[in-house]
Formats: sequence, C-alpha cells, structure tokens
Amino acid sequence: MDLFDPYYLQQLAIGLSLGMTYALMAIGFTLIFGVLNVVNFAHGEIYTLGAFAGLVLITAAAPPIAAVVFAALAIGAFAGFSLERLAFKPFRRFTDEASLKSRAMRESTLLSSLAVSIVVREALEIVFGSQMRSVPFEYLINTPVRVGPVILVTGDFIILGVAAAMLIGLQYLLTRTRIGLSIRAVSNNPLGAKYVGIDTDRTIIMTFVVGSMMGAAAGILVGLYYGAIFPAMGFVPGIKAFVAMVMGGLSSIPGAVICALILGISESMATTFVSSGWSDMVAYGFLILTLIFFPNGLFGAGRERV
Amino acid sequence: MTHLLEIENASRRFGGVLAVNDVTAHVDEGELVGLIGPNGAGKTTLFNLISGFTPLSAGTVRFAGTPINGLRTNRVARLGISRTFQNLRVFPNMSVFDNVSVGAVGTLPQGPLDALFGAAKRADAISERTWAALEAVGLTHVADELAANLPYGRRKYLEIARALAMQPRFLILDEPAAGLNDTETRELAAFIKRLHGQGLTIMLVEHDMNLVMSICQRVLVLATGRKIADGPPEVIRQDPAVLEAYLGVDA
Repeated sequence: MDLFDPYYLQQLAIGLSLGMTYALMAIGFTLIFGVLNVVNFAHGEIYTLGAFAGLVLITAAAPPIAAVVFAALAIGAFAGFSLERLAFKPFRRFTDEASLKSRAMRESTLLSSLAVSIVVREALEIVFGSQMRSVPFEYLINTPVRVGPVILVTGDFIILGVAAAMLIGLQYLLTRTRIGLSIRAVSNNPLGAKYVGIDTDRTIIMTFVVGSMMGAAAGILVGLYYGAIFPAMGFVPGIKAFVAMVMGGLSSIPGAVICALILGISESMATTFVSSGWSDMVAYGFLILTLIFFPNGLFGAGRERV
Repeated sequence: MTHLLEIENASRRFGGVLAVNDVTAHVDEGELVGLIGPNGAGKTTLFNLISGFTPLSAGTVRFAGTPINGLRTNRVARLGISRTFQNLRVFPNMSVFDNVSVGAVGTLPQGPLDALFGAAKRADAISERTWAALEAVGLTHVADELAANLPYGRRKYLEIARALAMQPRFLILDEPAAGLNDTETRELAAFIKRLHGQGLTIMLVEHDMNLVMSICQRVLVLATGRKIADGPPEVIRQDPAVLEAYLGVDA
C-alpha cells in the first residue's frame, strides 16, 4: 500500500480543509475560553447566528459575498456583546477577592452560557425550522480546483486565508495593541489590572466582541462551503473546537489551530479504515489521550496564555 | 490650604463590624506618611476606600480636590492614585516589560480608536515610560523575562515599577517589606526614600516598625477602625494610646 497514492493525498487534503473549518471556530473559542479564562459554551450558537445572518441577507437582497460576510461580522459583534451582558456580567457582580478566586463563580458561566446556547438554538428552530436550508448555488464556495493529483475547492483556499488572517491579526492584537495588553493583563490578574487603570469590564466586552465576530465569520464561511445552514450546525464544530483547544493547552491559540488541523486530518484518514459514522470517535479519543498523557495540552506548558 | 488626599469622617461597615470608624486624615503633596496599626485595625479597608475598591458607608474621600466616592477603581487609578499589594498582583505570564507597560497603557489618555490603533501611535510614550520605570527599580536587564520567573524580591520591585509607569501623584505601598530579609528591607528603605526625594507623595503601610519609623515624616496609627494617633515618629513612639493598642497594657 503506497502512502503517496493519490487517494491518500486526497484524503489528506480533505482532512486539512476539515481541520481548517475547525480551526476557524477554535480561534475565537480559545480567545474567549482560554485567554479570558471563562467558560463559554455559546460559541457554537454565535457561529450558527453568523451563518443565519448571512443566509437571511442572501435570501432578502442577494448582495455580493463581501456584504454577506460583513453582515455575519456585525451580527457576531452584537451577539458577543449581548452574550457577555446576559450570561457573564451578572456573575461578575461580586468583585471581592474570595469571589474572584472562587471556582464556583467562574464555572457558573458554564451553565449560563449553555442556557443561552439552548435558548438561541431553540429560537432559531422556531423561526427557521430545524431542517437544513440550502444556500443558493451562486453563493457556494466549492468550485473545484485541481492542484497536482488532488482536487480542492475554492472554499478551501478562502478558509485557509481567513484562518491565517485571523491568527496573524489576533497575534498582532494581543501583543502589539493596547486592547491586547489589557486582555492579557485581565486574564493574568483582573484585580491587578483594575488597579493599574484598566477598565476590566470594557476589556472583557471587547474580547467577547472580537471572539464572537470570528465565530460568526466562521459560521457563514463554513455554511457557504458546505451549502447547508441549520440551527444545530454549531454543535459539532463547537465540540471539535473545544477538543482542539484542550489539546492545544487551553490558552494557546496557535496550539489550538495546529490541533484542529491534526483532528481534521485524523478524522478524514480514519474514514479510510472505519465507517464515517465513527469518525467523531477520533476527536473524543484524542481528548481522552491528551487528558491522560498531556494534562497541560500539547502546547500548554509554561507558555503565555496567548 | 488644600491637601492632596483628604479623608473626612470616613466609615465603612461590614455587617455589624465597623472596619473603619469615623476616620479623618490627610496627606499633603510631597509627604511620606506611614500607616500602622495592629492586625485588624482597618488599614487595608482604609486603603480600599481610598482606591475606590470598597464604597464608603459614610464620609468623603477627596483626591486633589475631587471627591472619589463611588468612582470605580480604574477611574481612581487614572486620577493618579497607584498602589502595590501585600500579596503581589503582577501578571505572571507576561514579560517584565509588558507588565510595566500595562501600567503606562492604563493611564495614558485614550480616544475611542486608540484601543486598536493607539499602540503604534503612542508606542514611544508607552515604551519611554516603561523603560524609565524599569530603570528606576533596576530591572532593565530582565525586561524580556517572564514575571513568574523572577524571584520574590524582584517581583516586588516589578510591581512598584508597574505603579511608577502610571506616573502617579500618590503612591500607596501595602506592606512592601513583608517577606524580605534585613538587607533587602534596608535596600527597600533606601529605594523608597529615593522615590520620595524625587517628589513623589507616598503612603506606606507596614508592619515593620523600624522601617516606618526610620523613613516616614509622619505616622498615622489606626486601632479597631479608629485613628488613635497622628504625628512625627518620635512622638508616636511615646504615645500612650499607641503603646496600649500594640501592647495591650494600661499605660
């Protein structure tokens, strides 16, 4: 069995594109969850909202694709802001030292964000129905492109480009800008940051807005890539992004991206040997292996949380 | 004459406990004032009242004439009150340089778009302040080190550097000598005097009586939430109320 058989190259390419879609989701997820150190399980619904915002605009006005992405970004920013106010802000009422250190206070957002995610998903089902909506043909980003022996689609390149731009942009934001410095300071020690004049509230909102814009952009891009948009679409990528984040060490954005790619490739390779229904097992298997053998994640130990 | 910091009849109640009870005190521009008191005297609560962290139950606190009652901590910091902590609050996973520049960033004036684009525009102002503060505490050679990797004593200076990068008008040091040995405490005393010599107004809360008595011009004494003495070190040393509070004897 020759590993350089075009079949394996094609599987590798499919895996890479699958991994890129996970990475797209994992970047914003890791920013909020890992860097800001709060549990946010509503990121998957932000992704779904981004996709539906795009779809609604496409059905209503049939604008150029850039406008569709822009609408998704705007909805993402708004959704991130509302999510923070609704599910996170109420748990920051108590600013004394004991509550700031309390795990219970921090982890309560696990439930509040989960609640928001359930409400949003159900609301979308009421409004749009739970079945898949297909994206009009002319908006799909899956025109085949032949690269040597493998066939890719335009969406692969777009998603790769967007993920790279997000990664680089975020690295720039976190290390070279004031808001980035503030985000890192708040993630390190919220009280210390307050005392040196950082508006922690505003910093947290900004992080949610930026992270959610990325989540919404991911949603619409993946929607146009697969051509299907439905209320539960954020669930599986959300889990995969979560696994990638844990594997990457919880707080490392580049680590999460690399692990998202590893996940994608492993899943697509696994379908060669087992039926595709089992491919989700790969992600969970990786999660368990990581937690047992690398409790700090593959890229987590001793690094700054960026 | 107006004082830099004016505390008027300040009280703070936690349930049934009056942690700070009707305290009136002031600090003038350029002073180096010590704040002492037995455990539970209300020193930290008074600090928290000054920094806006804890709201007052009664009374007022004015800084440079502006009432700071009800202002949020980060607003108070921007007015020019800066502090260090007894149990350090450095940013462990950031470099020494970044730790200090957060101080500069937090207090530089900023417009709505500065958060995203201001860094490049003001990089000079930020790094200038940062280097100056690192220079002042002698940490320039470890600027790229992670804060978590510094030894404890150095981290204290890092926190002071971060406070200095805010270019404060009033610096509060919360038990800076805690956990330091005698040599380190002497170095710290010399350092605080040097800062004071450069015109900075400083309030020092400390358990180390020698440190306070040797460098402060004036000492405030709190006991069970009340101010029981206020005067130069040599007077405080003899004050019967202070002796009683510390030793529990009838003087």
